[in-house]
Amino acid sequence: MKPAATAAAPARGFFLGSGAAARYGLYYAPAGRCRGAYQYVAPFAEEMNKARRMAALQARAMSAAGYAVLCLDLHGCGDSAGDFADARWEGWLDDLARGALWLRQQLGDALPQAPGLWGLRMGALLALDYAKRCAEAPADLLLWQPVLSGSSALTQFLRLKVVGDMLAGGAGQPGGTAALRSALGAGSALEIAGYTLAPALALAIDALDAGQLAPPCPVRWFELASQPGQPLTPAANRAIGAWQADGVQVSAWSLAGPQFWATQEISTSPALLAASAAALREDCHAS
Amino acid sequence: MHLQQVRDIVSEVLALGPAGQQLRRESALLGSIPELDSMAVVQLIAALEEYFGMQVDDDEISAATFATLGSLADFIEHKVAA
Repeated sequence: MKPAATAAAPARGFFLGSGAAARYGLYYAPAGRCRGAYQYVAPFAEEMNKARRMAALQARAMSAAGYAVLCLDLHGCGDSAGDFADARWEGWLDDLARGALWLRQQLGDALPQAPGLWGLRMGALLALDYAKRCAEAPADLLLWQPVLSGSSALTQFLRLKVVGDMLAGGAGQPGGTAALRSALGAGSALEIAGYTLAPALALAIDALDAGQLAPPCPVRWFELASQPGQPLTPAANRAIGAWQADGVQVSAWSLAGPQFWATQEISTSPALLAASAAALREDCHAS
Repeated sequence: MHLQQVRDIVSEVLALGPAGQQLRRESALLGSIPELDSMAVVQLIAALEEYFGMQVDDDEISAATFATLGSLADFIEHKVAA
């Protein structure tokens, strides 16, 4: 009889820690021999919700290919303890360290290398910052449409408030995003699109630049464009160029597909799933 | 001049499908297209910035700019020429 071990087991939900330290995790066990492990790092605010389907599809595909995947809901992100207002960048970095430790304990000797990180959008920027600071470097990073400039990402998020006020028929936010930034700088939390943004979290994001976060491990970079065969964006090329100058090994792909973390209806990108799976298969052949 | 590109981008960001191509210069956007909520407006601005390689200033984000497809295209025209 063919072993059923190659079929992916269903994901298992659990809480890591308890009380204020409780983090909700969804664990996808590897089918067959464990080829490695990844932690999913979700994007920011509403993008996290829109991306849930793609995250689940990719996690299942990785699990079926022999990789363990842990999708840890970070502090204040809904399923874990805390409100969004309590969330801090450093707290999220700690959560990732706890997740990596959990994967190590879970897999023990079956784990052939340090767990890697798979980050989407702001999650990719968080993964980069983590990789740079953590005690044990991740084996590699899988980055999906990384946010490159924390400052631009923050401006986009603050714009939600400017536009929301405009839609509400008001005169708009006096001073626009610059005034909102000053309010954060003065220590005021902001209520934006249903999320309470703490000044400390906003300022931590504002200071991040992917180009300066050359990771201590190889990177696989995936970008989505509206047409197939597009070159990478100039901003992506700048960051990748800076890393390569630091000796980082980077492979990059541009694929056609919807920006599923932002589309009105929940959408998926089969091309991105296929390319990510192919990139992981290459590893198997190499090892 | 940029009406067609703006129509394509609006249509793509809002996932309007074939209905997007029915939009005329005088077609109302804000208040008329339910998909155009605050998140969609922010995305639309980002998509326009990227496509046309320009920056939209906060004080340019006004209801008048997003009133119709034509007002949005005129705004882009003005930004690109600037």
